[in-house]
Amino acid sequence: MEQDKDLAAYCARVLGMLNMNTSRSLRSPSDVIHVFINERRVGTLNGREAESSLQFQRQGCVDHIQLRSEEGALIGSLSAPECGFRATRLSLPEGTVELRIRNTAEGGSASALFTPAPRRWSEFLRSMAESVQTMAVRPVADGTAHGMRMVVVLQVLLAVIVLGLAADRIMSRLTPDGAPQVATQTEVAKLEQQLGDLARMQAKAVESIQLQQQGMVRLQLEIAKLSSSQRAIGAGMQAARQTLGHVEEVGRQDAAQSSGIVMSRASTDQRQLKDEIRNLTVENARLSKEMAELAEQNQDLEKMLKSARPEVSKATVTDQDNSMLIQQPDHEPATSMSPRAEVRNNTQPLLFWVNFSEGTTQESIDQWVHDMQGHMVAVNGGWQEVEVTQPSMPTDRFLEQVRGAKIVKAVRVDQ
Amino acid sequence: MGMADQTEVIGRLEDVVSTAEDFDRVVAQALPTLLERTRYSMRRFLRDTGQWSEDTAHEKFILRWSAEYLERFMLSGRNEVPCRPLYLLDAFVAKLHSRPEPFCYHPELLTPLGRFIDGLVARAVVSRDALIALYHHCYGMSPRDVIAVTGLSESESQRIYKNFRRWRESGWQRTMEMIGMTDAELEELAAEQKRHHQQFTHEAERVIRFAQDHYRKSEPDYYPCLSRPEWEAMFSEAYGHDYRLWHLVLCMDCVQKTWGLGPKRMPIVEKPRLEIRVRP
Repeated sequence: MEQDKDLAAYCARVLGMLNMNTSRSLRSPSDVIHVFINERRVGTLNGREAESSLQFQRQGCVDHIQLRSEEGALIGSLSAPECGFRATRLSLPEGTVELRIRNTAEGGSASALFTPAPRRWSEFLRSMAESVQTMAVRPVADGTAHGMRMVVVLQVLLAVIVLGLAADRIMSRLTPDGAPQVATQTEVAKLEQQLGDLARMQAKAVESIQLQQQGMVRLQLEIAKLSSSQRAIGAGMQAARQTLGHVEEVGRQDAAQSSGIVMSRASTDQRQLKDEIRNLTVENARLSKEMAELAEQNQDLEKMLKSARPEVSKATVTDQDNSMLIQQPDHEPATSMSPRAEVRNNTQPLLFWVNFSEGTTQESIDQWVHDMQGHMVAVNGGWQEVEVTQPSMPTDRFLEQVRGAKIVKAVRVDQ
Repeated sequence: MGMADQTEVIGRLEDVVSTAEDFDRVVAQALPTLLERTRYSMRRFLRDTGQWSEDTAHEKFILRWSAEYLERFMLSGRNEVPCRPLYLLDAFVAKLHSRPEPFCYHPELLTPLGRFIDGLVARAVVSRDALIALYHHCYGMSPRDVIAVTGLSESESQRIYKNFRRWRESGWQRTMEMIGMTDAELEELAAEQKRHHQQFTHEAERVIRFAQDHYRKSEPDYYPCLSRPEWEAMFSEAYGHDYRLWHLVLCMDCVQKTWGLGPKRMPIVEKPRLEIRVRP
């Protein structure tokens, strides 16, 4: 129950503050107006200056601008759509603030311009008095100080003259004689003229001071802008330093990571290379062994060749025998590479039948036969008989080669 | 407010208002209704995100933030005319809640000490008076100490005194009312600090980091923590006054890191350490 009461009291207080804040924020004067964009403080407007402005740009859109006093009271706010333009003018006790937001696809920009309300004559005098007081307290720029001193001197002089004139008038009224009154009137005219001159001089002095003040305000604006940009640069430098540090760190990590990858790759390659070398060594040993066996076999073959020569010379007697010898390979077993067959193939002309592919020209056939160093013998039912005098390789391999020719469809060695 | 009145108010809020003056009038007349509606939206948001509990601390939390939202709505909504205020408020709250971390929520910030610290730091984000006063509430510093620790120039330092004065006059009281700290709670905090000073400070140090981490991101470009040489360069080259003022009070590590970097003519200040001051 007590908690409910506490909560109800808090709720009532919050409502009261909401009402109060709205009226207070519009009434309360503020020297410094803080500008917030998207909840972030981006700068200030000086409510004491002749004119103060603030520009802001960002990559994303500007959602809203808020103006707050130094105490944090919300003075004004402007929201904007994601794309488009929005502006408003806020009236404050010190002047007006013009807020603008422009959002495009490229980003958002916002500006705040403070224009002071026109000052009344009394305020001007007050400010003058304050300026004189300030000048007396602390040194200011030489030009302004000189002008202000001049105004003070002129004002004192003017006051003395006016007092003198008034006293003179009173005295003249008190004198009964008329002649001196004429003389006095002349003097009064002179004095009035001098007074007019003094007034004009004062007006000029005031004008020049106003110009100087405006110049000072402009100068202060420039200084404020400069300091603002200096702050921004400083912040940028800090951010850049941070980023640089981060980039260096990332670079180091990348380098370490990439060198690790390279090292692991190199070790993998090295392992593969070792494996390959080992395999090659084994293969080499196997090949050496095979070579030795082949050399031994070769020696055997040579011996057999020597022993077979007399038989071969007997066998090369007739052409019929030759044809029979050629016909034999089909009937012989696969081991036709016997020393005997080799000898026969190398010494006897080879006759075989070829069936050429369809569309093969006679020229291609002639050329092919010529390339084989053979000649055509007879034609029978689409088969062409070809004789090769001395094939450059064993019969089987030779016939395989013939079968592999493009223009050859089929080969046979029998009739 | 009776049911009929309530219906009538809602009816007016649903109607189109065409001028800023009409908007101000309609909204001012319907503040309780609008506050209740914002509370309802916030309660639902916290429920949906698994952050809600049925207790006074949570109710106070949403009341405080609802008031914040409503204050912003009242000033920005008048530029949206013609509009229907009720639906504009719904859209406004929904837009705020669509952002990451729309407000600082942490269960430990709902205790009296947590609410006190969170309220002060949250206020410091929008009020320079509160920002400067935070040096006092967190580290027990006087204006002179603040000027020394942050190394401010003479022209800048004048404002510090003004900030302190305004905070003492009205800022603190208003902030305490805004965050719903009662006198009894404040007295209890002070008594607790006196009774168990070390434990209280330890607890405050733990809690303050939640708030600092959240609110520090509200500053433009999110001023990051710097190394001592970087701070040294900033102090010696006399730039980044806002950076120093803002960051140091919201970063316990950096305020200790920068100790002694101020101008030599400045009085020597003790190395800053957390020392909560309840009163201004």
